[in-house]
Amino acid sequence: MAQYSDQLDGVFVALADPTRRAVIRRLGRGPASVGGLASEFPMALPSFIKHVRMLEGTGLIRTVKSGRVRTCMLNRERLALVDDWLAQQRRIWQDRTDRLERFVTDSAKDSQ
Amino acid sequence: MNPDLDLALERVIRAPRRSVWTAWTEPARIEQWWVPAPAQARVERLDVRPGGGFVTRLSDDGVTFVPHVNACFIVVDDLERIVFTNAIDSAWRPASPAPVPMTAEITFGDHPDGTDYRIVVRHGDPAARAHHEKLGFADGWESVTGQLAALVERGAAR
Repeated sequence: MAQYSDQLDGVFVALADPTRRAVIRRLGRGPASVGGLASEFPMALPSFIKHVRMLEGTGLIRTVKSGRVRTCMLNRERLALVDDWLAQQRRIWQDRTDRLERFVTDSAKDSQ
Repeated sequence: MNPDLDLALERVIRAPRRSVWTAWTEPARIEQWWVPAPAQARVERLDVRPGGGFVTRLSDDGVTFVPHVNACFIVVDDLERIVFTNAIDSAWRPASPAPVPMTAEITFGDHPDGTDYRIVVRHGDPAARAHHEKLGFADGWESVTGQLAALVERGAAR
């Protein structure tokens, strides 16, 4: 559970940056090389590589090196953590509402 | 509503609006449904007015209670609406609950069959959290202290 919440924290922080969100969107269309990706962003290569490393560190992307080219690809499973989290929040509130409903309708019966 | 981050629920509860309201606002009642059994909730503060604290603790065994909710009511319209957030805690201290803060809005309306009960939970934009982390209060103070130390040390060396 603690590990899950650390992973989720990492994913939220990673997604909080506009460059990293743009990289995720771009990789949603298919794998790309670091060089190719970097050319789409108006920043120095070392700064861009920091973003790539951060995304890789959270598991949101994977990279594979072949010869001199490093290719990045999206890890959709990790991205799904955000959806899973929201679904979990929804479940918590739904269950809570079920219990509230039971509680107030049972008390209504008791007082009749 | 941001569909990527927020959630909404609607329910018609077959009980009078007043009983649904008191189930939320009386400690002995909210403890009965706030967490799923066998876990138990204990209300530490339930000060249902704007700025009032909302603090609950949670126990799996009924013996050891751990922190659960530490939040603050923002809006309270008697019998109609409760809004609370964990972005500030019950002492009004800005908080950074993981993974993002939330604001819950609960509305109680009349319905022919009982109560029209609605919830909207708005979750914080992760950008806000990252911005806060980027500001890095600790780092900031460290570098200021470092600069101050360098300055006084330079002065002392003269």
